Amino acid sequence: MNPFAYTSPKNTSDAAALAKPNGDFALPVLKSGGMDLLDRMKEGLEQPDLIIDLTRIEDPTLDAIKPDRIGGRATLAMVAESEALRTSAPILGASAGSAATPQIRNVATVAGNLLQETRCWYWRMSQFDCLRKTGDDCPAREGDHRFHVIFQNGPCLMVHPSNLAPALLVLDGEVEVVGGDRSRIAIRDLYPDPAVDWQSTSVLSPSEIITGVRFRSAPNSAFIALKQKQSFDWPMVSGYAALELDGDVITSARTCAGAVAPRPHLLPQVDAALAGVSIDDDRRIRAACELAVDGADPLPGTVYKTTLLPVAIRRAVNAAASLSSPDQGGDA
Amino acid sequence: MTHQPRDLRAINSGQSVADHASRLDGLAKATGAARFGRDQIKKDMLWVRLIRCPWGRAKLDSLDRDAALATPGVVEVVVSGDDGDYHGDSIGYLVARNRRGLERGLRALNAKWTRLDCQTGILDDEQARGPMDAPSEAAAKAIDAADFSFEARYSTPVQTHSSLETHGLMIEPDGENSIVHASTQGTFVVADQIGRFLGKRRSKIVVDCEYVGGGFGSKFQIGKEGAAGGLAAKSSGEAVYSFCDREEEHLDTGNRPSLLCKVNVGHDADGTIRGARFETFGGTGVSRRGGGARVPSGRFEFGTLDARNHRDVQFNAGGPRAMRAPGCPQGAFVEELLIDEIAHRCGLDPLGLRRRLDDSDRRQRMYDVAADLIGWENRVDTGSQSGTMRTGYGIGTCDWGKGRAPAKIEVVVHPDGHLEVRTGTQDIGTGQRTAMGALVAARIGVPLANISVAIGDSRLPPGPASGGSVCTPSTAPAAMAAADLARERILAGVAEREKLDATKLTIDDGVIMEGGRKVVRWEDACRRLSEPVSVTGEFDGRASAYWGEGSSEGVQAARVEVDCETGQVFVREVIAIQSCGLPLVRKTAESQIMGGVIQGASYALFEEQVLDPATGAVLNANLESYKILGSEDCPRIIPVLWRDDQTGVRALGEPPVVPTAAAIANAVFNAIGRPVRDLPLRPDRVLAALAEPMAERVVAVAPRTTEPENRA
Repeated sequence: MNPFAYTSPKNTSDAAALAKPNGDFALPVLKSGGMDLLDRMKEGLEQPDLIIDLTRIEDPTLDAIKPDRIGGRATLAMVAESEALRTSAPILGASAGSAATPQIRNVATVAGNLLQETRCWYWRMSQFDCLRKTGDDCPAREGDHRFHVIFQNGPCLMVHPSNLAPALLVLDGEVEVVGGDRSRIAIRDLYPDPAVDWQSTSVLSPSEIITGVRFRSAPNSAFIALKQKQSFDWPMVSGYAALELDGDVITSARTCAGAVAPRPHLLPQVDAALAGVSIDDDRRIRAACELAVDGADPLPGTVYKTTLLPVAIRRAVNAAASLSSPDQGGDA
Repeated sequence: MTHQPRDLRAINSGQSVADHASRLDGLAKATGAARFGRDQIKKDMLWVRLIRCPWGRAKLDSLDRDAALATPGVVEVVVSGDDGDYHGDSIGYLVARNRRGLERGLRALNAKWTRLDCQTGILDDEQARGPMDAPSEAAAKAIDAADFSFEARYSTPVQTHSSLETHGLMIEPDGENSIVHASTQGTFVVADQIGRFLGKRRSKIVVDCEYVGGGFGSKFQIGKEGAAGGLAAKSSGEAVYSFCDREEEHLDTGNRPSLLCKVNVGHDADGTIRGARFETFGGTGVSRRGGGARVPSGRFEFGTLDARNHRDVQFNAGGPRAMRAPGCPQGAFVEELLIDEIAHRCGLDPLGLRRRLDDSDRRQRMYDVAADLIGWENRVDTGSQSGTMRTGYGIGTCDWGKGRAPAKIEVVVHPDGHLEVRTGTQDIGTGQRTAMGALVAARIGVPLANISVAIGDSRLPPGPASGGSVCTPSTAPAAMAAADLARERILAGVAEREKLDATKLTIDDGVIMEGGRKVVRWEDACRRLSEPVSVTGEFDGRASAYWGEGSSEGVQAARVEVDCETGQVFVREVIAIQSCGLPLVRKTAESQIMGGVIQGASYALFEEQVLDPATGAVLNANLESYKILGSEDCPRIIPVLWRDDQTGVRALGEPPVVPTAAAIANAVFNAIGRPVRDLPLRPDRVLAALAEPMAERVVAVAPRTTEPENRA
């Protein structure tokens, strides 16, 4: 690792000011949970000259959880255990509680989860150049890409690693930011269009800090992760669903897929097909969820994900539909 | 999660020498008080790191030695070559005063490599890819004479050792001597090997490995990291620390090699196997040998065999080293799945077919118990289930030889009644320390609390390396002999003082008795000693009155659930029956069995080294994407020690890892009706199998299709 300076400001605006690249520090980086930063530094993927530690900022709103808002610094464990969210948006606790390990969830934050870097093993190894670095080629395309995309909507074949981003997307979430000239960004706009920009982690400038996320309530919302390993694994595919119900009938649905595209992948064709369907009508729900792979263009090594995706979405829809009372969990 | 259900403990109670003894080092390990080799970090010492090739094959173009040497803290840069033949291959090493200097020095060295074309697996070999050769004349005749025949090919991946304590050593000068704190499976192996690099006589080298964090066969040699550490210690005369980091541990410390096995087998309608040809290809990376697999194992009757057709295939990856039962889990996977496939073709219960093909009396009885405990009666015919979640049952077996090696154990009786058991042999986590202490305590008749064990130090009496599962079988006769000598010495003194017949005296829980009469407490008898009594028991590695009778055999039964929409396999339960002669300590013996099952289940479902096909770089040299079974993936494991009144201590370290993957693969076959012939049993492979037609039946039978009772 290269030497770096370290500072722990007491308020968010100081942190944002420090995070602006300047003559003293060309590569400042913000750190909260810091779960991944050290690994990236050790691998030489990042060489910050200033680390701005956000954990000493004295602002309780950064950690608070309310039925419609989560502080950016709240840990995944706090989200997973929140009673308020279990009622208003069970999809959040389920997806946060499925990430990584209990140890990591105790430290990793919501903002960090939204802004984490891809797990693409080519990108993670310093000896490989790739489109996300300075290269002209993607080594995963002809390489071992078993964990990569099935929707090739950009030249980079990485999948987005966040468990929470798709959940917030189906909840029409937005992030609160300080340090720039805007205070809110919709989750759907947080990540760049992979066809246009395949190198940026998000649209945020270096000095913008996520202080919280806001979202609509969705008592009938659920998350399903299909993992190879049940302890500490990234999903092969994940499914997200938030339903509006009138009795047993789905009046509107929002579904989203994780781990299949460079950013969370909404499935409007599934949503349209689910509208008006009874939650007991297994045949129509199946047919609707099969549409999840419309437009999929899998790689030779990711064909299996096209089998998994409709299953994940259907199970998420069924789990969301079965949440009639706040007492029932969302994760199958 | 693993539960050792208390109600099932009764299975093993009374089976071992010490049923209730707990690990003597449990507290030290749990609290961190135990100092492993990797913990030996001193303020003033040098750090060593190898300079490694980042690609499968590459040529070094340039490096900036001057810049590296100009880096603060860097002491020495040694470069001895410019060819890299695999990712992790080393061309030299760098020595620095501290870790920071090491890291910055390596960066300043700025090694530039030109990547070259490389080969990355067995299937890069034309013969391996191609069709099978014709069987030998005799085997061909037998196969042709059989009612049916078929060909199949099976494969297993590279499994890396992933030792929790990485490979390496720390060397510190001590006057004329060098003390070597090593993470090793062979205290005395290190003492013999490191001298060449240190330039020291064997008598000036002390090896300390009191605590070792794992070793499944890859820690019999000091490795390149150890050699570099030795050279740096010699040239500097200072303390030197040379341990692999996590990535290096995956790249260059050996592995269980991959296997491709092609089989041509002829069988009759009743399941009798008339003849078979096995062709095996071992993936040995840059090594020329070490890829062999034990298939068939000899446990089952295969008729006229044409086996021993093995070739090791070289490619650009790190080479293998012994790994817990080398060649056996991969061989068992092939052989046991093949037997289940034959059973299915003939419409037979695979357990019934095994009973006919297996002539071990002990395993015949184990089959009964395994079937009973796993609930075999709930098994339905292979391929007869529908629905999303399907349950499967499978069986695997093992056996092991009676290897042994010379060993000495010293027992010192102190005048306060305290006993010291002294053995230079290492405890790599198996419970060797506890086994020796508990054996001596039980043999003499004193509580374990009276015993301490000094272990893992080359100044102590010599013993074998931990390999081939010979360590406990070899040290136990020596420990029994030493315990008996110590006991006799103390009893002789008591008899003389009390004018009793020493042969009539016994010791029960620290009290010396004559018949039912208490004579004197052990401590009081020892108090009469003017100085400590030292006795040494010796086993010559061949014969001994203490060797006794016994064998290592095992049967495991697995119950799995397969999610047929996602291809996920969940191992719910494994019954692991294992004989090991006379078990010494129930808890550590059970732990060995459970560890074998966990490692075997991990091998069955998750573990595989992934090489980039174009560059040969290892894509998963870390514990994130090199997937190892975690707590949520762990089945309920019921370890069953099988005593059968055996008297001799036998192998236990390796055999329990042999049947697990085979049993799980068979259970998956039973659940989904198609064999998955490639490990690991990944979801994509299970889904691909499910897309294939149901496995062929060549003998018509009425299937049993009752849905199984849900026992989850």
